[in-house]
Amino acid sequence: MQALLSFDQAPPFAAPARFFVTAPLFAMLAGALILSTGPELFVSRWTAAALATTHLLSLGFLSQVMIGAMMQILPVVAGANLSRPLAVARMVHLTLVCGTLLLVLGFLTFNRLAFTSAAWTLGVGLATFVGTAGRALFKVSSNNPTIDGLKLSLLGLIGTVVLGLLLALSLSESWPLPLPQLTALHFGWGVIGWGFSLLLAVALVVVPMFQLTPAYPKWLAQTFCPLSLLLLVLQTIANLAGWSTVADVLASSLALGVALFAMETFRLQRRSARARFDASQQFWRLAMVCMLAACVLWLGLLWLPMLADQPIGPMLCGVLIFVGGFMSVMSGMLYKIVPFLVWLHLQNLCRAGEMAPNMNKVIGAKQIEWQLRVHLGALAFLLAAALSPSWFAYPAGAALLVANGGLLHNMLSALLFYRRHAARLMAAREDGASR
Amino acid sequence: MSGADADIFIDARGLEPPEPMVLTLEALDRLAAGQTLLVLLPREPYPLYRTLQINGFIWETRFRDDGAVEVLINHQSL
Repeated sequence: MQALLSFDQAPPFAAPARFFVTAPLFAMLAGALILSTGPELFVSRWTAAALATTHLLSLGFLSQVMIGAMMQILPVVAGANLSRPLAVARMVHLTLVCGTLLLVLGFLTFNRLAFTSAAWTLGVGLATFVGTAGRALFKVSSNNPTIDGLKLSLLGLIGTVVLGLLLALSLSESWPLPLPQLTALHFGWGVIGWGFSLLLAVALVVVPMFQLTPAYPKWLAQTFCPLSLLLLVLQTIANLAGWSTVADVLASSLALGVALFAMETFRLQRRSARARFDASQQFWRLAMVCMLAACVLWLGLLWLPMLADQPIGPMLCGVLIFVGGFMSVMSGMLYKIVPFLVWLHLQNLCRAGEMAPNMNKVIGAKQIEWQLRVHLGALAFLLAAALSPSWFAYPAGAALLVANGGLLHNMLSALLFYRRHAARLMAAREDGASR
Repeated sequence: MSGADADIFIDARGLEPPEPMVLTLEALDRLAAGQTLLVLLPREPYPLYRTLQINGFIWETRFRDDGAVEVLINHQSL
């Protein structure tokens, strides 16, 4: 077997792995925060604990996974090599971890210094990531929708970060800015501009590749990412200009776009060549169900005043988007990406004629299926807690903690599998060389 | 060049990773000087290019109208 990768070009396994191991820790912290706060957290999305939990999940879990995955995906899918990938990964990871913790501390204590420090730490870390990834990506000619989508998702991340920094600095410096309006824009840019754009760009490759389905149709692949970002920009302008009906129509179009993507993914999954869905496919299916439900609810909140007046709606929508949608799909992707990377890096250590262990042995199928079931339980409890906090807040916190403990266990077992086999292969290499 | 003209032909469309890479690397081990390997894939295989480069192969990539990608591989010495 030939040598696979040249390590000066491909990011070493340690670059993305640190993000994948840290992500579940933040979701576990979110579970612990729900447990320590109790039903009060679910009263409104504006409570300090709810804002802290949202950021533990969105920044702590989702952005960790998204940035780690992007570092790996750029060279493999787009041929875009990051310069000094390990150094960048270390710096971005450290600032993201510290910045998220500082932001959460800011929400929980309303300490001005915490908000200012969080803003600068996250700003520097994310700017480094955007700069490095952007430089690598914009050197590559756009010959497919995934590369275009990755570029656009970086623009979405810039929008999210700028709005987030404005909000954090407003809280610390008491700037007279319209916080609810900025929060709505920050949420829209985070969910659509960064999250959905990246999901779409990556789905175009990973769904057909790992789920053995036909490709997404051209009309969707080529138009959805640019169209979503264009609608988001127009929605932002309408929102800032105070044209609320136009802004609501544009927000509804975005929700319909997400719903269409979810339905198209269902259609592709039905045509999968795999006879029995594996756990990763089940994670994707769950995510698409939740995204569809979130879109319906979102439209209801926009157009039905009786729903818009209830605090339950945004809470349910948040759980469906962050835990049901993004966390499910990221978990499903991790269970494909991590074993593949372990295999790839082990294969690179193999001598001529030697084969790395089978990719399916990296994380046991039963371990993944168990974690899927616990994740499903956590989602159900969180939705129930949004409806009836006094009954379900504590089970929801505990279930989120256990589910992500399971994900952490699975990520660590993949890492240990890699270390064990890498040590064995290195020893065999040295043994062969000394003879 | 069609699959029939190549010395070794791999149709890796519809295979789950890392199967296309495994089959290609195994074929490279068997590829004698002067022989050609044609790999048909659903997308452009960026990691494969680096593998080919560091193992002394040259390649040519063609994009088909149906969206598939053909990679034609030879030993560099030729």
